[in-house]
Amino acid sequence: MSADFWLGVGVTAGVYGIFVLGLQINVGFTGLLNLGQAGFMGIGAYAMGMLVTNAGWSIWAAMPAAVLIAVAAGLLVGLPSLRLRSDYFAIATIAFAEIVRDTFQNAAFAGGNQGIIGYDQEWRDTASWLLRQLAHIGLGGDTQLPLFIVVWLCFGLCLAGLKFLQASPWGRVLRAIREDEDAAAALGKNVLAYKLQSLAIAAALAAVAGFFLALNVTYLYPSEFDPTFTFLGYAVLVLGGFASYGGVAIGSVLLWSVMEGLRFLHLPLSTGQLGSLRFVLIGLILILLSMLRPQGLLGRKAEMQLR
Amino acid sequence: MRRSDSSLGRGGDAPPFASALWRRTPPIAWLAIALVLIGLMLTAVVGPTAAGQATLNGLVGAGYFALGAVGLTLVYGVLRLVNFAHGDMLTFGTYVTLGVTALGVPFWPSAAVGMIVTALLAILLDRVIWEPMRRARTSTLQLFLVATGLALVLRYSVQFFAGSQVRTVGLDTTSSLNFGPWHLGTLQLDVMLVGLATILLTGAGLRYTRLGKEMRAVADNIALAEVTGIDTRRTIRATWLVAGGLAALAGILYAASIGTINPNFGFTILLSLFAAAVLGGIGNAYGALAGGVVIGLSQEWSTLFFNTRWKPAIGFAILILTLLLMPRGIFGRKKARL
Amino acid sequence: MIRSTLVGVALVASLSIASIPARADPVNLTIGKLLEVTGPLSDTGPSQDKAVKIAVEYANEQATKAGVAIQAKDIGADVQGDPQAALSAARSLIDQGASCLIGPAITPESIAIANGVTIQKRVTIWPVGTSMRLRTIKDEGTIFRTVPPDSLQALALVDAAIDKLGTAEGKVASVVYRNEPYGEGLARDFSAAWQAKGGKIQGPVVFDPAQATFDSEAGQTVANNPDAYIIIDYPDTYAKLGAALVRTGKFDPTKAFVADALAFSTVPNNIPPQAIEGARGTRGGTPTGTDAYKIFDDLWQKAGGVEHYSLDANSFDSATLCFLAAAAAKSSDPGAITDHVRAVTTPGAQKYYLSNLADALKAVDSGQKIDYVGVAGAFEFAANGDPTVSLFDIFEYQQGKLVVLKQIDASK
Repeated sequence: MSADFWLGVGVTAGVYGIFVLGLQINVGFTGLLNLGQAGFMGIGAYAMGMLVTNAGWSIWAAMPAAVLIAVAAGLLVGLPSLRLRSDYFAIATIAFAEIVRDTFQNAAFAGGNQGIIGYDQEWRDTASWLLRQLAHIGLGGDTQLPLFIVVWLCFGLCLAGLKFLQASPWGRVLRAIREDEDAAAALGKNVLAYKLQSLAIAAALAAVAGFFLALNVTYLYPSEFDPTFTFLGYAVLVLGGFASYGGVAIGSVLLWSVMEGLRFLHLPLSTGQLGSLRFVLIGLILILLSMLRPQGLLGRKAEMQLR
Repeated sequence: MRRSDSSLGRGGDAPPFASALWRRTPPIAWLAIALVLIGLMLTAVVGPTAAGQATLNGLVGAGYFALGAVGLTLVYGVLRLVNFAHGDMLTFGTYVTLGVTALGVPFWPSAAVGMIVTALLAILLDRVIWEPMRRARTSTLQLFLVATGLALVLRYSVQFFAGSQVRTVGLDTTSSLNFGPWHLGTLQLDVMLVGLATILLTGAGLRYTRLGKEMRAVADNIALAEVTGIDTRRTIRATWLVAGGLAALAGILYAASIGTINPNFGFTILLSLFAAAVLGGIGNAYGALAGGVVIGLSQEWSTLFFNTRWKPAIGFAILILTLLLMPRGIFGRKKARL
Repeated sequence: MIRSTLVGVALVASLSIASIPARADPVNLTIGKLLEVTGPLSDTGPSQDKAVKIAVEYANEQATKAGVAIQAKDIGADVQGDPQAALSAARSLIDQGASCLIGPAITPESIAIANGVTIQKRVTIWPVGTSMRLRTIKDEGTIFRTVPPDSLQALALVDAAIDKLGTAEGKVASVVYRNEPYGEGLARDFSAAWQAKGGKIQGPVVFDPAQATFDSEAGQTVANNPDAYIIIDYPDTYAKLGAALVRTGKFDPTKAFVADALAFSTVPNNIPPQAIEGARGTRGGTPTGTDAYKIFDDLWQKAGGVEHYSLDANSFDSATLCFLAAAAAKSSDPGAITDHVRAVTTPGAQKYYLSNLADALKAVDSGQKIDYVGVAGAFEFAANGDPTVSLFDIFEYQQGKLVVLKQIDASK
């Protein structure tokens, strides 16, 4: 179990962390059951990839543009579907995410089954430069360090931003909507607008997570954006706790440490059986957590009293 | 467990065209008219052979979706539970059946065993997992997460014992019936008939049997049902029994007629089942049928104009489109009626 | 006199003992398996696992028989069908001492792993994916493939079709493929090659593997009574598509051509016989008379467990090659193995086969360069790690069994 392996886990945990910050603002603070977050992530990542490889943009310009595109997608999805009942909204978001994934797999402009490759050269140059700087302070050991540091730095920035937003009047309205939508509406708040903004922010965060995923894996392929990603994101959410942005970090690191650590389980079983066992255990953890400590590690029980 | 809007938020429900005609005609009529019209248009454009075959293919798909979605929609109607583990109950039931056939038992008795075991599992799960959560009045999200975890446990437990390689039920998937220029697989026809019969029986059972009335009472307002003397725990157990058995039946028939399965198949089909149930108005047995028909037909009809690779995307697109026009689904009403 | 003779004998004896080369430390090799245990490709996991397992067992036996001091063990990890998980799987195997990685199944996973771990650590990977995309990255000689590239197999398919139809000129080939990289790449190359020879293409019909029904796709494939169907698929979906094709009532399996993912010594029992009886196809060829497939099949059947599945022979070969390279390098160091793969697949060197693997091991142990020819074909890796030998078997399914009709060189 080398440092290299655990750094890899750390990068994955960071990617999920940013992804789940978006889920947290939807679920924990606005009361929206967004099951299509992986679709927004895909849109952000593919938009960046396509701008760089097809349109020749610099990756540093493509990223903000891709965030805007993801936000636009969030608004496009939210406008018609936010007026649906919440479980229907959930199904609609998942349908949207699947349409996005199917489009990536079938449309020639998105690379189709061949995916997209070659968008990360500028990042690699930057990462090498970063690695050299790190070597000066004795941390030049592992090539994953630049990505690891950047991911978690970004997470920290997003976390700070969200906490700031949450403490503001805007954040208070969001909370009010989650707890009692009718009351908020009765007080004259445009509930739909707030929900849209929440969804847009989540989409932006998903896009950023998508960038880091794309840089880590160096290949954009539709299977990276399937619903399982969102489900595991929810596992992180429930582990870390509702209505706790800080809990997201803990939940992500914990879940991924356990999930990846289970790869080293040494039992007299075949690889196939060990692989199956791994997911049985994850499922059990999910069940037990949701039943016994639904507020998660850092959440508060009070937050769980939803209507 | 509150009935009113169970979950995390409340959406609007006013359809965009609020004319009197729209409000008075039941959605199912609109649906039937729309489908027939489209069918006629297609016949005019591509000819009766192609249109007819595509329609038949679509109805086959409808059969799978409808049969699979009935248990899902029943559980939602009575228990307000979005059971993400439903697909894997299909898998579980099918693999139990396969296991029994491996002991030499013929197909239909094995299938019966599979259905019974799955029904019992459903009741056990209710006892151990769902009932405590109902008592604790948990939110939709929590239930969803537990269901997701349960799905993983079921699927990968099956895979742990059976392996992830493909298996076959071994029935003859190539036999087909021919009517003129059109053909229909024999096993596929069986699926359609069983699917239709199941839904009609479920609908009739809900309307005319005492258990059915009790289920509807519990679905409407569980507190009120208790007050009127209904043994709600028994009703809920019965619901799970039926849902579990139907899930196993759906899985077995799917596996038998499609020819090859592996432990992922239930989860793979789950989203389509949800699409069918939601589109039809989740909580309504006839909704499962209507939803299945809409999705099945739209997917196969689309192949007349678009490349078949887009079929899955089209199914989901139709779902979203339908929800935009009928936000509560085809049979959905303000008060979900089973 | 006797004393000087004794001294002389003792001197000669000690000199002889001194001149015996020091026994090298036995090589303990760990071969990693990147398996699809969970995820959308999980149907391939068990057979790939078994292929590497029996390769390692057989190689160990032969090494012992040859007196060569190398033994291997195999360990596996789940790539989950997802490139991000594949990265982690590869790292976990390398952590546990794997010197080469057999797999993964698809090119996105291969590229993720190559860029993330294996190029840096000079660990060879042996993907089973055939996309030419894999060749767009600079892998520093760490990626080898025992599967024939799409470009060559497409030519072989064209030859197989022409062999049956007589000519491509004016003939309609209806192409149907499963919506994933292997199918798409091969279909595209075939269509280009077929049309270059004057043929016409109907379709391609692309189907999503997760569908509930394949009747529309089957209908489009058999429409207009084409001269041939080119079916690029895997056994799990072909069971469903094949049944749908038969149900159309217009499908003639003797007009069908399949590629190596649908090549097995015996047709698996989930594929209806009417869908494949009499169909022809192509797979990587091994020079006839070497019995390689028979030996491989015997090993497979003896081991029990799962049936044959797509591309299992190719992974069997990959594991054997890794073993040979390690024997040649006399080391389990990944970099050393990387450097010696070409030493065991040198064009022009003495050829060795599965049937005389023990002799091959002895040869590499004594420092010779050899040209190992595997079950799924000969390799003679090009600079980019793809096989250059373009030998293909054209086969036909007769009574559910694969019968090789002829061998061709696709590059001609």
